[in-house]
Amino acid sequence: MPTSNGSIWNTCTTEDDIMIGRIARKEFLETVRDGRFRVLAAVVLVLGLGSMAAGWSRYQDVQGQHQEAQAATRTQWLNQPAKNPHSAAHYGMYAFKPKSRLSIVDPGVDPYVGVSAWLEAHRQNEFAYRPAQDGTAAQRFGELTAAEGMLVLLPLVIVLLSFGAFAAEREQGTLRQLMSLGVARKDLLMGKALGVAGVVAAIVVPVTAAGVLALALTSEFGSPLRDASRAGLLVVIYLAYHGIITAVALGVSARARSSRLALVMLLALWFGNTLMAPRLAADLAAAWHPTPSAFEFQTALERELADQTEVRRSLETRRQEIVKAHNVATVEEAPVNFSGVSLQEGEEHANQVFDRHYGRLFDAYEAQQRVVTLAGAAAPLLPVRGLSTSLAGTDIAHHRDFVRSAEEYRRRIQRVMNDDIYRNSRAGVVYTAGPELWAKVPEFRYDPPGLGTVLAQQGWSLVVLAAWLVAACVFASRGVARLAAE
Amino acid sequence: MFARILRHEWRMLLADPAPWVLLAVLAASIGYGTLNGVRWTRFQEQTIERARAEERERLAQHDRDLQLIAAGEKKVAPAADPGNADSAGRRLATRYAVLPPLPLAPLTVGQSDLLPYYFRISTDSREAALAATEIENPHRLLSGRFDLAFVLIYVYPLFILGLAYNLLSAEKEQGTLALALSQPVSVRTLVAGKVTLRLLVFLVAIVLLAGMSLAAAGIDLSAPETSLRLGLWAAAAAVAVYGLFWLALAVAVTAFGRPSATNAAVLAACWLLFTVVLPSAGNLVANTLYPVPSRVALVQGMRVASDEANTRGSQLLAKYYEDHPELAPDSVERAMTQASLIRIATTADIERQIQPVLDTFGRQRASQRRVIAGFTWLSPALLMQHMLGDIAGTGTHRHERFVEQVARFHEEWRAYFLPRVFGGVRLERVTDAPQFAFEDESAPAVLDRTLPGLVFLLMLGLGISVAGGRALSRYPIVG
Repeated sequence: MPTSNGSIWNTCTTEDDIMIGRIARKEFLETVRDGRFRVLAAVVLVLGLGSMAAGWSRYQDVQGQHQEAQAATRTQWLNQPAKNPHSAAHYGMYAFKPKSRLSIVDPGVDPYVGVSAWLEAHRQNEFAYRPAQDGTAAQRFGELTAAEGMLVLLPLVIVLLSFGAFAAEREQGTLRQLMSLGVARKDLLMGKALGVAGVVAAIVVPVTAAGVLALALTSEFGSPLRDASRAGLLVVIYLAYHGIITAVALGVSARARSSRLALVMLLALWFGNTLMAPRLAADLAAAWHPTPSAFEFQTALERELADQTEVRRSLETRRQEIVKAHNVATVEEAPVNFSGVSLQEGEEHANQVFDRHYGRLFDAYEAQQRVVTLAGAAAPLLPVRGLSTSLAGTDIAHHRDFVRSAEEYRRRIQRVMNDDIYRNSRAGVVYTAGPELWAKVPEFRYDPPGLGTVLAQQGWSLVVLAAWLVAACVFASRGVARLAAE
Repeated sequence: MFARILRHEWRMLLADPAPWVLLAVLAASIGYGTLNGVRWTRFQEQTIERARAEERERLAQHDRDLQLIAAGEKKVAPAADPGNADSAGRRLATRYAVLPPLPLAPLTVGQSDLLPYYFRISTDSREAALAATEIENPHRLLSGRFDLAFVLIYVYPLFILGLAYNLLSAEKEQGTLALALSQPVSVRTLVAGKVTLRLLVFLVAIVLLAGMSLAAAGIDLSAPETSLRLGLWAAAAAVAVYGLFWLALAVAVTAFGRPSATNAAVLAACWLLFTVVLPSAGNLVANTLYPVPSRVALVQGMRVASDEANTRGSQLLAKYYEDHPELAPDSVERAMTQASLIRIATTADIERQIQPVLDTFGRQRASQRRVIAGFTWLSPALLMQHMLGDIAGTGTHRHERFVEQVARFHEEWRAYFLPRVFGGVRLERVTDAPQFAFEDESAPAVLDRTLPGLVFLLMLGLGISVAGGRALSRYPIVG
């Protein structure tokens, strides 16, 4: 007896609320009393907690090593013996990528980007040593992380919880009974959804608590409060995703001819969304915005670096400027050292080349990620992954930001050294500088971008996610509105 | 009777759209996965070709310059002198050490998108030479490739489970099972008929699709290489025993007489366990038990070692001569600039000092691999990944062999150039310098490594089939 009741979202009365509560309670109890689900929930819970603990211990190790190394590289820089500033520039420093605290939850691309770069004169070196290269092939199956538990395993649990919500009741004939009692469809839907939510909460709440604990226990590396807003939003995003999955699952269950079909369809959707879509979207993005091979990239970079015509031209201008300013015949007579200028001009030219090439490369990555986000119109996991890694500070945009900051620091070292050569040394005279100069280079500090930047970068992900949430709810309520008792 | 069951099942299968939808999805995935693998292999081959062309041109130009300089027709600055053994071995005349993809590489991208497949070898430290990586969006490395291995490991079991999860339960739910069994036929014969038909459909499909993908990959079966044919047989065997495992599992689960939906849920959970949870749990265990320290430790170790070495530069040179008396110049004048000699001596000292750090990395990695090897016996998906990687030559094993050979080649390279640097010998030709050629493992050796896995999966599949067969005899036909 299909009835079309367009607006099921009428104002709720207290009686409705009681009914919803009863249904939710019944669903929850039924699930909790089912031994299979107890096992399943326990497994997911243990995996969630275990991965959180492992993530925490990994974070402590790596972050400790990186902080120690960053301090050591600073000390080494300061303890350099007296030498020419340009030799010091060649000696340089290292930048070690700090681990974001929320990488405990979602390590994102951390295993696949380098951890350290040498900040030396003339060159922007790439971040070398991707941790994944030291791992085993098994990691390509995906790492067991809290994010993986929330985004991959839990949705499957939701599917298994809710595929029979309407379809099985219909098969058992209890749906007709329910309807004959005059239970409103929207109440039924809300009750079922809340029942699922209760079970999900039984898993999510302890994992979240463990996450909060893990974050709190890392307080020796700065205030955990700074990450609180990111962490809070992360939980909201995960819950929204679980909401989408629940709504779709209930919608399919209401429409499917049998519970068997509902399950098969939902499993197929889960598989497509979780395993197919990320790969297909990445392929699509790479085809759309191709990146060069490392060989091509390097060759093009070297070619442009070797082209010194521009440098020679600007050096000639600078030479004349100096001659005019000091009112001397040749630049050698001026009370400055021209090699400081020529070194710095060389740097400026190289910087432009690096900005162009690395900029293009990172732009291509970001364009690829935009394609992936928009492909999220077909698979809600894609924008959620983007948001998750972004909020955790472990996406490519955060990596780029760190690379930029390290490179700015490298340029600062060069400017300080070259400026000293320009001002304090004379051509043809051996010149050395000491610790006072080394100390003029401030300590390297990196502040990750704030929540505002993240939200601006992930605007489209939020839009796509919100659209999915609305669409999924409409899908579920329409399905229930047309619910047939047999 | 058996033939009648087959015929009936065939008609039923024809009438049901679900298996055909599944088959279409599988076919599309196989086609796409193969093309993806081929594209990646071509990309690698192209890059290798470009690198080789660059090397050929550069070295030819180098030798031409040497002749011109010898003939007095060309003058160069000392730093750019192609005849200087130090600059030639370190920068100007370097060569690439290349790991060429095997013919079966399109089968699985494996680790080949993560681990470098070519290195530029110079007399500089080995660590510097081995730090190269290919450019790839890290998000893509994270999500993995849609290659044939992905289809075989993840999609193919789902296809089998989709065919077999309601083997008897569907008939029971429709009420036709009791009717069918009222005929003179046993449950086992009925199931055997159903399984056989599905197996046949499935084999025909696989053979067709394999042919399709081989053609798409441009693999020529008439090629004389036996290694290729052996590899194909091994891959086919892997696909067969992996399929057998999943089919046996599906039959065993259905034998318990639960409703179709329960079967589907249980099988989905099994699939998740074997293909997602166990491999990543193995990874987690390996990482937790034997964490590989951050490479930052290595970077810092090198830094400290090089600081020390640099302050003791000239002492080290003296010591280096003690260790390598054959290199000591008969006259100091003949030696090249002191700077390059000191650099060589310090590099050697740095390498000696950081060796313990490198050893730690090596040990932890080896321990991790042992843990994962243990997990391959728990997860057929992980086992399959290892076998396919071995067969296609894109796994960890072949890459490690490559790195070992590169390390040896790096020594050879130094052994060629360094004596000339120390002796102050001017180079006359650089094309005589050592060249790298990767020596592949013999095909039988690869098979030896794959065989235990194949046998294990076969036994596992048969074992589960037997258990399933036993359970079938107690199948609750009604209720």
